[in-house]
Order: sequence, then structure tokens, then C-alpha cells
Amino acid sequence: MAEPTPAVEIKGLVKDFKTSFRRQMLRAVDDVSIRIMPGEVYGLIGPNGSGKSTTMKALLGLVAPTSGNCAIFGKDSLKVDSRNDVGFLPENPYFYKHLSGAETLRFYGKLCGLKGKRLDDRVSELLALVDLENARDRRLGGYSKGMLQRIGLAQAMIQEPRLVILDEPTAGVDPVGSRQIRDLILKLRERGITVFLCSHLLEQVQEVCDHVGIIFRGKMVKEGRLDDLIAIEDQTEIIIKDASPELISQITALVGNSATASLVRTGKPRTTLERLFLRETTQGKDS
Amino acid sequence: MSSTTQPIARGSHFNRILVIAGHAFTQLVRMKVFYFLAVFAVIAIASNFFDLPQHEGPESIGMNVLRSIKSWSLGTMTLFSVVLSIVATALLLPKDVEDRTLYTILAKPVPRIDYLAGKLLGVLILVFVSLAMMDVLMTVVLQIRSSMILTQQVAMAQSQGWPQDAIESLRAETAQHGPNWALQGAVFAVFLRASIMASLALLISTFSTSTLFTTIISFLIYFIGHFQADARDAYLQAGQAGEGVFARMAALVFSLVLPDFQNFNVIDAVIEGQAMPLMVLVKLSLIGLYYAVFFTIASWFVFAEKEF
Amino acid sequence: MKAWQRNGILLAALLAFGATRLPLEKSLGDELRKGGLAPPPLEIGTRDKIGQTSSAVALGGLRTLVATFLNLRAFSFFQEQRWDDVSDTFEMIVDLAPRTRYYWETGSWHSAYNAASYYINNSNMPSLRRKEAWRAAIYRGRAFLERGIRNNPSDWSLLSTLGFMLTDANKFPAFRDPDATFTAAADAYQKAVDTGNAPAFVNRAQFYALARAKGREKEALALARALYADPKNRLPTLRALLLVLEAHENPALDTAKLAVELFETPERALEALSGHWQRTRERFPVDGVAGALGALEKMLAVPPEKSILNKPLQLPNGPDQWFSK
Repeated sequence: MAEPTPAVEIKGLVKDFKTSFRRQMLRAVDDVSIRIMPGEVYGLIGPNGSGKSTTMKALLGLVAPTSGNCAIFGKDSLKVDSRNDVGFLPENPYFYKHLSGAETLRFYGKLCGLKGKRLDDRVSELLALVDLENARDRRLGGYSKGMLQRIGLAQAMIQEPRLVILDEPTAGVDPVGSRQIRDLILKLRERGITVFLCSHLLEQVQEVCDHVGIIFRGKMVKEGRLDDLIAIEDQTEIIIKDASPELISQITALVGNSATASLVRTGKPRTTLERLFLRETTQGKDS
Repeated sequence: MSSTTQPIARGSHFNRILVIAGHAFTQLVRMKVFYFLAVFAVIAIASNFFDLPQHEGPESIGMNVLRSIKSWSLGTMTLFSVVLSIVATALLLPKDVEDRTLYTILAKPVPRIDYLAGKLLGVLILVFVSLAMMDVLMTVVLQIRSSMILTQQVAMAQSQGWPQDAIESLRAETAQHGPNWALQGAVFAVFLRASIMASLALLISTFSTSTLFTTIISFLIYFIGHFQADARDAYLQAGQAGEGVFARMAALVFSLVLPDFQNFNVIDAVIEGQAMPLMVLVKLSLIGLYYAVFFTIASWFVFAEKEF
Repeated sequence: MKAWQRNGILLAALLAFGATRLPLEKSLGDELRKGGLAPPPLEIGTRDKIGQTSSAVALGGLRTLVATFLNLRAFSFFQEQRWDDVSDTFEMIVDLAPRTRYYWETGSWHSAYNAASYYINNSNMPSLRRKEAWRAAIYRGRAFLERGIRNNPSDWSLLSTLGFMLTDANKFPAFRDPDATFTAAADAYQKAVDTGNAPAFVNRAQFYALARAKGREKEALALARALYADPKNRLPTLRALLLVLEAHENPALDTAKLAVELFETPERALEALSGHWQRTRERFPVDGVAGALGALEKMLAVPPEKSILNKPLQLPNGPDQWFSK
């Protein structure tokens, strides 16, 4: 079977910007290549100003590459066609404040050529997906940050794209909202939708992505499967529930007898602060 | 490929333009621009009671009131339509860029020309609807007032024993100042001029960096456009005036680059009670359309290359 | 594409677009001007005179509205009797709204009537200067009206206003040649009639002017006969003038007999002709009237002491009297 068309194919992307006053050129992205296969969740991580957003904008045709090229499902990003199969959630999106949630989705749906019952169904479906049915007819002016981000995600999904691009999807969102967005991303993965997201919140990327790329000062410095990248190859972790002190000492003794292995550390795993916060704030509500 | 989604037929250019236009229209409406209609209503009704100090013989009772209603109404329409078309156009584009809503739109399969044409059309619909409402109001006020005046005049003429032909002539003259087709044509001419300004503001806003800049430049061009024809005449008749080659060339460039609004002075002629032939309106519309289409395409030319 | 390339293409397109629309706009402009739908281009002088702000508006297509405002200003100048300011304001107004008859009529009326009367009554000036100011005001009013007519040649009302001014007993003494003045009035009325829109009284007014111009008596008689043919025109002045002109044509005519014919009864004839005899200020000709009056009085047995011919005529009341002291 032939290899499927990559969802995202960025080859040798270079982007220079003119700085306002001096003639000097600023290289925002320097020879970046990314290939994302359908169904993958790819996280691009890097500090602020490292070229993440520029890479995404080039992929969406919002900026023209200085050299190199970008394609979505094999279609050149500079062509309008390429955007049939992609949904985009920009960083800190401000949608039209005068529209309600449902109106916003209808507007973007109509732009994509949806109409009639199909559009209505899709709007309801997406509002349910992002859990905003209650805020359906409320104007976006009254939405919280997390709600805006979720309606933004719904907007990106409106024409059932096979690829969704998310620029800092949880920036400025509280942990509950952040968790909801994370769950949504996981839902997208389950549906086989390719996700390309960028963030500087590493923990979040770690939770949802199966591929990551690290970009720094415009250059790709590390790329690959997340598990491969973060596994500490010479260590093994065993987590045991309700272990008696005897059992622990037996295991410790067993390790001590081994010729090659050595015990690094024992103790109780710490829950993350995020998990603690979530457990405390959502008790009796979600689960 | 595992995707089960059935492909969505992309809508036509026309549909997308309509969607964006409808959206721009609602956006402006929800910015409460229609409040100015209340101001207009006050002006239209008040101009009725401007018993301006006038000196008139009994035979022209109230003619000045009719003229005053017309010049106030059309003057206000001109102001509102030009301000609205410039400011609204100058506002919409930078606002979308600033709020990054533009990203979400352009990230959809929407060609940039559709986006521009849609925004422009939205502004034009708004201007058209408001002008139509103002027109209705003006026509009603004018209708009521001119029939009152006619009754008065006929009563006056009969009490003075005017012959029938004199009464008829007076009646015809008053009717010329009442609501008529030429006046509707003049309102449409106001709309045409506003459309030219809106498309020009669109062009300017594609390379301008601020709303203020777009607005100021557009207004400047608007005013200059009203005596631009003098530059054209200066060029065409330069032989007689004896100007130098440089002045001639300057006049030529000036008149080629800037729009010419001189022909829209036909509106003033209508206020003064002249009739406007349909052909004039048709030609004026074609010229207006030519401007709007050219400016829109030029805007697209700049906007297509723009990076955000 | 480089930025300069793009701007170059844009500029070239703009010029090409201008070049294609220029002839279209020019031809439409000429068409409008020919049809009287576009005013002549604003004179540079007007642009200087109007203040910066209002000129922007005037140029911005609000000429008539600015004219309305200036009309208000003219009215306050009028109330303050600042005649030069009134005139200057009207000069601006008519540049802005040259097709509005009202402004032409009002501007000329302010000058020829209001300003002129002011100089008759204003005793602060020496009489000679008052007279010259009075004359100048009337000249100015006439010239203004004539400009209005040149701008609106098909307006019967402006023409008839001019005729009215030139036949006004308080105005025509300002002009040195009365016959030329009456002829000019008659011409103005004639043009008004020629527009086809003028009511019937304009035709009679034309005749009243022509009847007073010396050397035009034959034409006047022909016109009088034509007008008399229509019973609607048989007003006392017209009947009296018809009699006068017939007597001028044929001095041997029995005017008393004709008077009875024209006025139907001797009583009416006497009354009407007496009135005509008394109207000296209007300078209507009176050929044969005295003879007719004498014969009619005899016919009606009016005692000589009651004869209209023995009553004193109106005292002269004109510039010679107004500016004597």
C-alpha cells in the first residue's frame, strides 16, 4: 500500500521579515521542515518568539514563505483550495463580539459553503461537542476566555476538516478550561483528525501529543515521537498500590542483589498540582 | 484514508460575498449606526418649521420651505452617506486584522477578493438602506408640505381672481419643488457618490496602517474630487491659458489619479427644481460602477499580497 | 513581487483607469452643463470669499445648503441696513445656487428697492451723494437681475421682474433715457411671453411698457388691438391706452365716441379716463384724453368747477423732490 499523503508537509521553510526602521532582515523561521501524517497529534514547542506562529501562518497561507513551501494534504498553502481541509484556531482569538455562539458558527459554516439543515445540524453538534449549548444564544462579548477558546475550536471544526491547527489553545485559560480543551483535543484524536498545535506549556503538550518538535530561534532543534524523546532508556518505573513495607524491603533487597541494576529512588508518587486542583474544584460536578 | 466525512461543496464566490456582506451589515447595525436616522428625522421635520426670515411675494408662499426641506435633507444625506461609507470601510478592515478575526476567515477556503468585496458590499447595503429610509422620510415630509402649500396658493390665487392659466403655471412650478422622480434620482446619485468613496476608502485601507489615516486621506480626496474637473479643464484648455508644460502635466496627473465628483453637482440642480433626465442617471451610475469595480480590484491587488 | 513593482503596477493602472474615464466624465459634464443641470464652475473669486470651512462644504456637494445659510446672513445684514454686505452676500449665494430664481429676485430687490429707499430717506448724507447712492443701488439691482436672466434664460418670472422694475415709477427716473428704459422693459416682457410659461398679465404688462416708449406707438397700437380682442384683457388701463394710441395714430379721431364704445357707457368712460389723466407719475401717454374728457363731461353735464381738467394734477414726486434738500 502506498504511503498516504501527509496531512502537513513543510519543506525547508524560511521566512524573513523586514524590521520596521532598519533595512535589516529578521529571520523568523530558518529552514524548518515538518511532516505530519494523518491521525497524528503534533505539538510544536518553543519559547515565545521562536517562530511557532509564523510557521503556522505560512502553513495557512497568511504569510508567503521567503523560500521553501508548505502543503496541506498535498495542496500548496498559497492556494485557496488547501484550506478546504483545515480548521484554524488563532492565539487569543477575538471573534465578532456582536454575534452569539450559534451565529458565529453559522457565519463560518456559511463561509465554507454549508447551508440549510446540514449547517443547523453541524452547529448543534459542535456546540454540544464543546459543551456550549447553554451559551448558544449569548453574545460572545459575554463569554469567558475558556468559552471563547472552545467556540474557537468549534469554529475551526465547522466544515469537518481533516486537519486542525491550534495556536496556543490554552493560553490564558484557567485549569478547568484548559482541561476541557485538552479533552477536546483527545476527542479529535479519537475521531482520526490530525491535530497540529503549538504551545509553550510543555506539560500540556506532553499530555496530548504523540509527536513533538522543538523550535528555538527559528530552527528545529529536536523532533520525533514523544515517547521516544522523553523515555529515559536506562531506567524502569514500577508503581505499586497498597504495598506493605515488607514487600518494599523484599524488592529493595532483590535489586541490591542484582549485579547491574541499582535503586535510584523509592517513595510515593506526587500528584501534580494540576491534578489536585482539578480534583478539588470539579468534585461532584464532572464525575 | 480513514476520513468518513463526505466532501462539502464549496459555495460560489457570490454566496461567500453575500455571507460576508450580510455579516458586515449586521456588525455595523449592531454598532448602532442607525441612531443617526433619528437625527435625520429631527432635521427633516425641523426643516419644516424653519420659518426662515424670507422676503417673498404671496405668489411664492412656502416655496422656500420646500427648497429648504430638500437642501437640508439631501445635505444631511450627503454628509451621513459619505461619513458612513468612509469611516465604516476604514474601520472594518483594520478591526478584523487587529482582533485576528481575519485569520479565522482567511483560514477558511475564502479567496481574499471575496472577503474585500463582501466587506464593501456590506457597507454599501448599509448606506443604501439608510438612504432609502431617509428618502422615504423626506418624501413624506415634502409631500405633506407641498400639498399644503398648493392648497394655500390656489386659495390665494382664486381670492385674487387669478386666471386659470396663471394658477396652472403656479401649480406646475410648485410641483417641481415637491417630491418627484428627479429627487429620487438625486438621492440615488448621493448613494453612487458614497459608493465611490467607500471603494476608495477600501483601497486606501489595504495599504494604510491606521483607520485615522484612511479616514483623513479619504476625506481629503473627497473634497479635492469636487474641483478636480478644474484641473482637467486646465489641462484640456492649457493652450489658451498659456501654462507651462510642467503645469499641464501636473494637471493631467492630478485629474487622472483623483476621482471627479463634479458631475454629482447635478444633485444641487435637482434641489433647485431642475428635472434630471433618466439618461443622465444611467450614465452617472455606469461611471460610479466603473469606479467601484476598479477600486475593488485594485484593493484586491494590494490585499492579495498582504501578510498578517 | 517586490513592493516597488507592485506600487508601479498600481500607479500605472490608476493612470490608465483615469485615462479611460476622463472622456466619459467630460462628456457627461458637458451634457449636464448644456442641459442646465450643472452650474458653471465656481469662480475662483467665490472660493476666496467664502470662509475656509464653508468652502469645504460647498465644494463637498452641499452648495445649496451653504446658500441657505448665506441667505440667513444676508437677512441679518438687511436688518442692519448694511447694503454692501447684503450685495456681496448675494453675489456669493448666486454663485452657489445660480438656478434658484428666488436668490436673484431677492438680491436685486434688496438693492433696487430696499437700499434705494434707504438712500431716499437717509438724511445723514448730503443730498447729492444720496442721489448718486440711490441711483447706484437701482443700477446694481438691475444688473444683478440681468445676470440672473443670463443664467436662467427660460425663466419668465425673472424677465417679468425686470420689466416690472423698469416700469416702476419709483425706479425708472434713475435711468437717464426713459424711452430706452421702457423699451428694455417691453423687451424683457416679450422674452417672458416667448418662454411660453408666462401668465396673461405679462403680455399686458409688455404692452403697458411699450405704450410708454416714444417712437414705438405703431407697434403698441397693434399689440393693444390684439390684446383687446380677448375680453379677458379689457382692463381699464388697457382700454384707456388703446384710446390714446388710436388718437395718436389718427389725431382727428372722435375720442369721446371711441371712449363710449370702449367703456360701454359715458359714465364709466369718464371715470376711467379721469383716472388715467391723473396718473402722471407713470408717464402714460395722454394723446386725445383731454379732448375726450371735455366731450364726455359735456355729454354728462358735469359743471366746469367739477371738471377733472380743472382739478390740480398730482404734485410731482420723484428724485428732484427727494433729493432737493
